[in-house]
Amino acid sequence: WKKVLYERQPFPDNYVDQRFLEELRKNVHARQYRYRAVVFQSGAVVQQLCSVCVFALTWWYMDAGMLSPQGLFGAALVSSLLGYVLFDAVDGGAGRWASGRTRWADLKSTLVFIAFTYGFSPVLKTLTESISTDTIYAMSALMLLGHLIFFDYGANAAIVSSTLSLNMALFASVCLASRLPRSLHAFVMVTFAMQIFALWPMLQKKLKARTPRCYVGVTVLFALAALAGLATVSSVGAVLFASLLLAVSCLCPYCLIRLQLLKDNIHGPWDEAEIKEDLSRFL
Amino acid sequence: MEGGGPAAHSVCMVSDFFYPNMGGVESHVYQLSQCLIERGHKVLVVTHAYGHRKGVRYLTSGLKVYYLPLKVMYNQSTATTLFHSLPLLRYIFVRERVTIVHAHSSFSAMAHDALFHAKSMGLRTVFTDHSLFGFADVSSVLTNKLLTVSLCDTNHIICVSYTSKENTVLRAALDPRIVSVIPNAVDPTDFTPDPSRRDDSTITIVVVSRLVYRKGIDLLSGIIPELCQKYPELHFLVGGEGPKRIVLEEVRERYQLHDRVRLLGGLEHQDVRNVLVQGHIFLNTSLTEAFCMAIVEAASCGLQVVSTRVGGIPEVLPENLIILCEPSVKSLCDGLEKAIAQLRSGTLPSPETVHNEVKTFYTWRNVAERTEKVYDRVADEVVLPMKERLDRLMTHCGPVTGCIFAFFAVLNFLLLTFLRWMTPDSIIDVAIDATGPKGAWTKQYFFGKNRRVKEELPHS
Repeated sequence: WKKVLYERQPFPDNYVDQRFLEELRKNVHARQYRYRAVVFQSGAVVQQLCSVCVFALTWWYMDAGMLSPQGLFGAALVSSLLGYVLFDAVDGGAGRWASGRTRWADLKSTLVFIAFTYGFSPVLKTLTESISTDTIYAMSALMLLGHLIFFDYGANAAIVSSTLSLNMALFASVCLASRLPRSLHAFVMVTFAMQIFALWPMLQKKLKARTPRCYVGVTVLFALAALAGLATVSSVGAVLFASLLLAVSCLCPYCLIRLQLLKDNIHGPWDEAEIKEDLSRFL
Repeated sequence: MEGGGPAAHSVCMVSDFFYPNMGGVESHVYQLSQCLIERGHKVLVVTHAYGHRKGVRYLTSGLKVYYLPLKVMYNQSTATTLFHSLPLLRYIFVRERVTIVHAHSSFSAMAHDALFHAKSMGLRTVFTDHSLFGFADVSSVLTNKLLTVSLCDTNHIICVSYTSKENTVLRAALDPRIVSVIPNAVDPTDFTPDPSRRDDSTITIVVVSRLVYRKGIDLLSGIIPELCQKYPELHFLVGGEGPKRIVLEEVRERYQLHDRVRLLGGLEHQDVRNVLVQGHIFLNTSLTEAFCMAIVEAASCGLQVVSTRVGGIPEVLPENLIILCEPSVKSLCDGLEKAIAQLRSGTLPSPETVHNEVKTFYTWRNVAERTEKVYDRVADEVVLPMKERLDRLMTHCGPVTGCIFAFFAVLNFLLLTFLRWMTPDSIIDVAIDATGPKGAWTKQYFFGKNRRVKEELPHS
């Protein structure tokens, strides 16, 4: 028996040969994960959850009058400067050299951003006055959730969009800032949101690539800080948040690895061929 | 009706795809029906209405086609509710005394509906699968589940190639022994070589396919500039239409190849041969293909075939007639260069020799003969009674899907019982058998029964 159609063969049409399905392959592209590697990668999710938590906490403290805008602005400024130095120190300035961006350009964009936010903060303060506070809370929660969903955790998927993610976070920050007592509060809140949602993930990414050990330490410290902060507001919330973080960093990787064993992906000659070359060079 | 083997069957071909729509399934249904009629069976075709073409039509040899007024949803496939087509189909099955329902194409919702109803009515069922499907994405997971439901109690399945059989067996979790492999065919008299039509001062590569992603047109857009730069006497002739035409036009523009790359646009089936005979080499860049009629047609016209090694293509032609390549620009260019070198050195067999070899491979008569064997086999089998059918659905299709469709099967049966009570089978007229040499279609009989036949032919 031959697997050809052009010859008449002395077998019935429904003959099943020994070689039936011999070209079947299973789990060709399935990846074998290691638990520690997955836990390490889940750090990105933990970090982002903590960022959202810290942001919400900061707002809560400001709203309750327990944190002065001046204090927050000072602390944020110092940590930003630290982060800025660290950002270049981590890779010895290689990234800056590759991008060709000068320090003067950095300073200019910072000044422009701060000036504009400061100038518009009275507008931000009154922007959502006609909207009910409940709507603001609901919208902020939704936007922060969206931020977490669309954030670029390093996966190559269609749903990932860092622009959308950042925009949603900033929208949430503008919403929440407008409920604070004064326009200075609003200005500091939006600036802080920019730092924690735009600058902090950039530094994290670099840390993760260059000094993985340091990154793990930073993640753990950050998570503990967020938990401690949450504990001062609500102990139940802290417990729930702690269990969420544990689930994300320990339970989910375990599930992934267990479920990976059940993967049963079949491939064979019937699969649609993939064009692997880059054909855009012809156009 | 006599003379067609042990017993003549009354076969109803059901598919959403039939003429005036053009394509592989359409011509398969038509040619197979014609050859089965020739062998003495009664055959009718049921499809959905195409524009103004609705009602009953008669084609050559009295092949009766029902164009049913069912709503088209997507890509010429009708909507499925599993129930709404029952009254019409039941009427046809009873009226025409159908014994075997033969459904075509897994993309056709009507085909699956007809299988479902036929099983409720206790008719034998055969299904022909014309396409390959993957397993990875959500849409194929869902369609494969539906195929499992549809085929788990179908008597026999026909696939067009061994690869297609493996694919179908896996998709629908079938016993491979109830799946037969019967290839497609081409009419060799339609595809004869004519070396005088080609210009031997140049080398012409012909491509005839729909210009869509699945046919690998993106690969073609890489091959054209690569080879045209290397071989100044090379010409491309592209027949077909589709969304990827713009890519080829861009390539032609960019490399200034207007005199060497001709895009012919959509071709009628009868014009394909006239395009093919103008070339020396036929190129097929498909990314997936269950059988690929195009390469057989090209080989029948005496062209050297260069094709990607995907799906069932390696089974279709012997190695001396085809150059198989990997689906990449580089590999396909290498294959084409090999073909060009052979052509220049004159080592290619003459078109006439190739034609004579290919014409023995695939004929519709052979297909009909083998399909008839399937019908004979199916006619001896028992149709599962209701209880066993429900058991089969529930054990075979998974706990959730199985129970849902078992429930649908019960509803379908109740609806059928209601219809039988409304219009009993006994008061449904029996249609005049128009098909075949002995049918009402032949003139003598036609004039003899003039009055009654007229009623039968609202659109002649």
